Amino acid sequence: MRRFFEAAGLVVSIVTLTSCATMSVSSHVQRGIDFTRYRTYDLGPADALPTGDPRLDRDPFFQDHMQGAVVRQMAAKGLEHSTSGTPDLLVHYHASITRQIDVNRTDREHGYCYDENCGVRTVEFESGTLVLDAVDTRTNRLVWRGWAQQAIGDMLDNRPKMARRIDAAVARMLERLPVGRIDAPRRDVGTGER
Amino acid sequence: MQRSPGLTLSAAAPVIALAFLVMTAAGCATLHVNSYAARGMDPARYHTYTWSPTDPETTGDPRLDSNQFFDTRVRAEVDDQLAARGFEKAPASGPDLLVRYHMSVRQKIDVPRIDPTDPQDHGEVGVYDAGTLLIDLVDPRTDQLIWRGWAEGSMEGEIDSQEAMERRIDRAVTKILDRLPRTQ
Repeated sequence: MRRFFEAAGLVVSIVTLTSCATMSVSSHVQRGIDFTRYRTYDLGPADALPTGDPRLDRDPFFQDHMQGAVVRQMAAKGLEHSTSGTPDLLVHYHASITRQIDVNRTDREHGYCYDENCGVRTVEFESGTLVLDAVDTRTNRLVWRGWAQQAIGDMLDNRPKMARRIDAAVARMLERLPVGRIDAPRRDVGTGER
Repeated sequence: MQRSPGLTLSAAAPVIALAFLVMTAAGCATLHVNSYAARGMDPARYHTYTWSPTDPETTGDPRLDSNQFFDTRVRAEVDDQLAARGFEKAPASGPDLLVRYHMSVRQKIDVPRIDPTDPQDHGEVGVYDAGTLLIDLVDPRTDQLIWRGWAEGSMEGEIDSQEAMERRIDRAVTKILDRLPRTQ
């Protein structure tokens, strides 16, 4: 019983914090290779790893939308979707959901408090991570990994919202993939972006 | 939500910003390192090693699961540090030692001690990603763990920057293997 109260005290409230809703995007990259030689790609075999949330496991809506978003963004970068023969790159994705805890630091920094004692408000939220991997088919090595993390809240119950979030996440991740047209937007690789 | 009495934005901001900076800096720098050798075992009696074949394990952070950039860096740094301590990387057959590592990340809540004499000290409670890197040396003949070393510290913001992650790996591996005696 005491443990229950401790847990209840920890999870004071489940609210959507604006700080949690910010999408965090970054990437790792294989250095010292020429990414301009990659011109074709295909989507790798479907990911069989569990997502951490049964609502998302083998969800055809999610998988279709995810693949569609990758195909659109890769086309926008000037890469050719090769479904016959060996492509230069295989792109895999993985989605996972974990429970995370946040505290009301932002509010306190600005001198606001939720109560007279200026107590700490702790919130538990579901954090979603989308990972995109690009594998060189000649070496079978990972040459780039991008990810996007965000509190997902009620997204699993809201299909249009999920679709918009996937589009935004895939676009921002693939902005960081250093391939394709010269005029494609590029960012410094390997620097954290919040 | 209400405005807290006696804590205005203009007065509190520099203090809290400073406290936050100090806390963040301390959190990044702190690395707890420990190790133990199995009873009666002296890792310095072993001379050659090879990497243990391992199945992919989950780390608790999807950014690091099956991340070859992370994996390559850890192995390269362990190889360097073992070489610096006189250990020799052996061909796949007949090494004295098998080396394996495991990385895990989980969220921790940091509750700092509050100075009761300081009315401004509200104690900034924070959450951060705590990482543990573990290095095992195993005797392949007996399958017994000979030596285990680990480093624990905050990975907050360190994974999103590849350079920061690599520096963190190098420092953790070096500090762990600093505790390993030189081979005789």
